[in-house]
Amino acid sequence: MGALYAFASGPGVYLAFALFLAGLVVQGLRFYKLTRAKDPLALPPPPAGVVPPASPPARGAGAKKPLLDRLLAAAEAMGRPFDRILGTLCRTVAATHPVMTMLTVTFHALLFATPILLLAHNVLLAESAGFHLPSLPDSVADVMTVLFLLCGAAFLYRRVFLRRVRAITTPYDHFVLVVTLLPFFTGFLAYHQIGEYRTMIALHVVSGEAMLVLVPFTRLGHALFFFLYRFLLDGEYSFGQGRRAF
Amino acid sequence: MSEIQNPPVDRGQIERALARHKDRMKLYLSHCMHCTLCAESCFMYMSRDKDPQYMPSYKVINSVGVLYRKGPGIGRDDLQKMKGIVWRNCVLCTRCYCPVGVDVPAMIAFARGVLRSQGIHPDFDEQGAMESWL
Ligand code: HEM
Ligand code: HEM
Ligand code: SF4
Ligand code: SF4
Repeated sequence: MGALYAFASGPGVYLAFALFLAGLVVQGLRFYKLTRAKDPLALPPPPAGVVPPASPPARGAGAKKPLLDRLLAAAEAMGRPFDRILGTLCRTVAATHPVMTMLTVTFHALLFATPILLLAHNVLLAESAGFHLPSLPDSVADVMTVLFLLCGAAFLYRRVFLRRVRAITTPYDHFVLVVTLLPFFTGFLAYHQIGEYRTMIALHVVSGEAMLVLVPFTRLGHALFFFLYRFLLDGEYSFGQGRRAF
Repeated sequence: MSEIQNPPVDRGQIERALARHKDRMKLYLSHCMHCTLCAESCFMYMSRDKDPQYMPSYKVINSVGVLYRKGPGIGRDDLQKMKGIVWRNCVLCTRCYCPVGVDVPAMIAFARGVLRSQGIHPDFDEQGAMESWL
């Protein structure tokens, strides 16, 4: 344990970040090689106001959704690309799955915000790199961590109990969920000194590094490919210019 | 059933068919989060009492996903099962919406092509009428 921890908390951190960044670059280049410039005569994506509807039931079959309609109006008043992104969201998943949409937006916002704005991480960053980012009070970060874990628990609930989600769930889905939740869970236990601190912090560092390394090469690669698919790739739902095509 | 009507899978042929868009298809398969958020955007799902087997993701996982999992060694019975999924359960209307950007219609169209390479496709019955799908 001691040797593993020494490696993981020393050179391991650099190795993990290097693999994470290199992996993202390699995957990005791979995407670029697999695609080509879009046919210059192809139609541009439709303008913001005419987000193509997914099939009609997606709007919730005529149900009144005042909150969503207000959000939609606000979205359309904003310029590109927000009108298109928010507008598409309001017309699709936010209309059919409002709770899941709120959960997943919260989950992903906390996934990035918590570790980046965490005081303990920024102290380590300052020690090794000589600079740091703004930090949140520990009490706030702690609440964010718990919220994040609750969102993760809700995803797990869906996977186990909802028939439609279960119908396509594989062990791999549970694996990526656990990989994502583990750094938060172990970080929480270490912060609260639950269990043996040295062990917990070792587990935390190793699980955090594992997550970073796995992002570019697994299903978690959606973090990068979401942007490639939805902004770079040509298509009627494209959020961006859609300059590439398979 | 006779050998003529039901020949074994042509290995070289299906190998070529699977290789054609392999990288793209495997990326999509890998990045489908299995979240089911696409379900309601498919009218087939909505008009079949929300039966999960009509979800866009269910259809690609059980066609393209199975094709690559089993590879060129795949059996003809597997391909026959897929025929119903990609011609009957999906009409390729391209109205489905995936937040991640998985191109479901492109995948279904690809699976149809692989099946066609093995002579599997909607056909005419003995009376000469087009096989009924709905
Ligand atoms: C890669 C190397 C990493 C190192 C060296 C590291 C180090 C630490 C340390 C020293 C703490 C403080 C524990 C305490 O207060 O005693 C901590 C807490 C935490 N870490 Fe990390 N961490 C790493 C990666 C990550 C990653 C990748 C994530 C999430 C994506 C993460 C999420 C957290 C959270 C959420 C907490 C605080 C939990 C709470 O306060 O309730 N860490 N980490
Ligand atoms: C900005 C980048 C990202 C975007 C736009 C994004 C988008 C999405 C979307 C649309 C879903 C499907 C809805 C859902 O199941 O919640 C999803 C699921 C998920 N994402 Fe992300 N994601 C991003 C980054 C990440 C990262 C970096 C991780 C982890 C390291 C991650 C972990 C997950 C997990 C575990 C799920 C599946 C939840 C479940 O089991 O249902 N995401 N993401
Ligand atoms: S196709 Fe898209 S919306 Fe459907 S389950 Fe996969 S990631 Fe989710
Ligand atoms: S293309 Fe197929 S999966 Fe997509 S909405 Fe149409 S019928 Fe449903």
